[in-house]
Amino acid sequence: MRYYIGPEARLRRTIEDTAMSVFAAWSYEEVITPSVDYYDLFEQGMGQAEAQRGFRFTDNDGRLLALRPDVTSSVARMAATLLSERPRPLRFCYAAPVFRQQPQSHAEWRRENTQLGCELIGTNGHTADLEVLRLAAEILARLNLDSTYCITINNVEIFNGVAAHLNLADHAREELRRLIDTRETAELQRFLQSFANDEARAFLQPTQLTGKREVIRAAREVITNSRSLAALDSLEELWTALDAHGLAAQFEIDLSDVSSLDYYTGLSLKVFVHGAGTSVGRGGRYDGLTGNFGRAEPAVGFVLNLDALTEVLARRMTDV
Amino acid sequence: MITIALAKGRMQDDALALLARAGVCLNEDARNSRRLAIADESGKYRFVFVKPADVPVYVEHGIADCGVVGRDVLLESQADLLLPLDLAIARCRIVVAAADPEIMTRSLGMLRVATKYSRIAATHFGTRGIPVEIIQLSGSVELAPALGLSDLIVDLVETGRTLRENGLSVVEEIAESTGRLVVNRASYQLKSEPITALVKALGAVVNGEERA
Repeated sequence: MRYYIGPEARLRRTIEDTAMSVFAAWSYEEVITPSVDYYDLFEQGMGQAEAQRGFRFTDNDGRLLALRPDVTSSVARMAATLLSERPRPLRFCYAAPVFRQQPQSHAEWRRENTQLGCELIGTNGHTADLEVLRLAAEILARLNLDSTYCITINNVEIFNGVAAHLNLADHAREELRRLIDTRETAELQRFLQSFANDEARAFLQPTQLTGKREVIRAAREVITNSRSLAALDSLEELWTALDAHGLAAQFEIDLSDVSSLDYYTGLSLKVFVHGAGTSVGRGGRYDGLTGNFGRAEPAVGFVLNLDALTEVLARRMTDV
Repeated sequence: MITIALAKGRMQDDALALLARAGVCLNEDARNSRRLAIADESGKYRFVFVKPADVPVYVEHGIADCGVVGRDVLLESQADLLLPLDLAIARCRIVVAAADPEIMTRSLGMLRVATKYSRIAATHFGTRGIPVEIIQLSGSVELAPALGLSDLIVDLVETGRTLRENGLSVVEEIAESTGRLVVNRASYQLKSEPITALVKALGAVVNGEERA
């Protein structure tokens, strides 16, 4: 629960307008989705664990409703149903509040957050990935956050390839994922001792998982399975393109970003800004999502958290 | 500047000694002062001294970039943090203890468990389907069974002396706990150079590779 009054409200509006004007300049059409929808939609769109963080209640006929915990689910359904005949690619953007229950006393405590987001649906490959990354970078630059933000990128197929190669059962795969996500090197080492195969050694150097192009080179030295290698190639291609656009300073490769493996299918990204203790944005490629609504096609997008950005920029204004 | 949150008490001296060997030194005056936030000699680091349970809070919010705290506290807080190093200090165990070690197998009714670690206790018994009533205390947990407040306790044990002197013995071990280096996710990306350097230096000390 949060009020914005006077100058703060103006600042928040300016940030929203800036983001929406950048989206518009890149031919993204605004979309406004229902704030209340059937809970099923979000479970199909986000997976059960995430959707359950939404606020749920029942309609008069007993059907379960939810305050939208994300916008992407609605956009994906819309693309697969209402707009199934429209020529691809589809480009949509939005500025809309989403509602989630938050564990008390955790840093991301707000129940209501406004997402500034975009979805690029129906096109594959690194040109689409590059487009949304450049969009995110442009918005942050237009907000005068240049040199104080960092976008980390990863390709979740690198981890998936290694996990498949190790032939892990579900719970072991989740344990491996958790240990990499929190960079628990000592435990990870113990975990891997039981495997003859040592591909996962790629994740053992917590200080070598994050960086520029050299991270990919280091990973290639230990990873041999073809699925991970293809993902490394694609990540490197993306990096080369970012570099060519002069964005290498603002981006980092982070092979340990494996937080939402069930959702993303390729690129995953996180946005960090000096002054904010948690990430202020995230996104990636989710080619599996629209298939849940009857029409499988590639899709990529991201969201920025308007409230977190407002807080950072408001503090900066008073500090000056 | 990198802000490091340290858990006051049990772990504080060990943590400061490790940090000193990694090149992050607090001088004697600063160490003996009662101020809760002090800079190190190089001016590159700032220390804040807080209660153990508050270390994950400060770090998760990004007020401190990193911290040193026991695994017991981390398991209880479930904060979303990076845990790059096991510092192998302040080693102890989280255990279930009782006056009568047979009680777990003998009693089929609801057991009462007194603890500071209600989440760890609930998870431990919950995953095995043992019905318990958790009684949250904030200290001197060993008293609870003696006074009849609970049948069991879940608590931290270093030597076992406190347990013995209060007529309790260990029924089972839940987990081992040692001091951990924790790092804020955003700081890890945004201040990657100094933090990576700190992780490497501490890692070398812990693994005994420091240069003489």
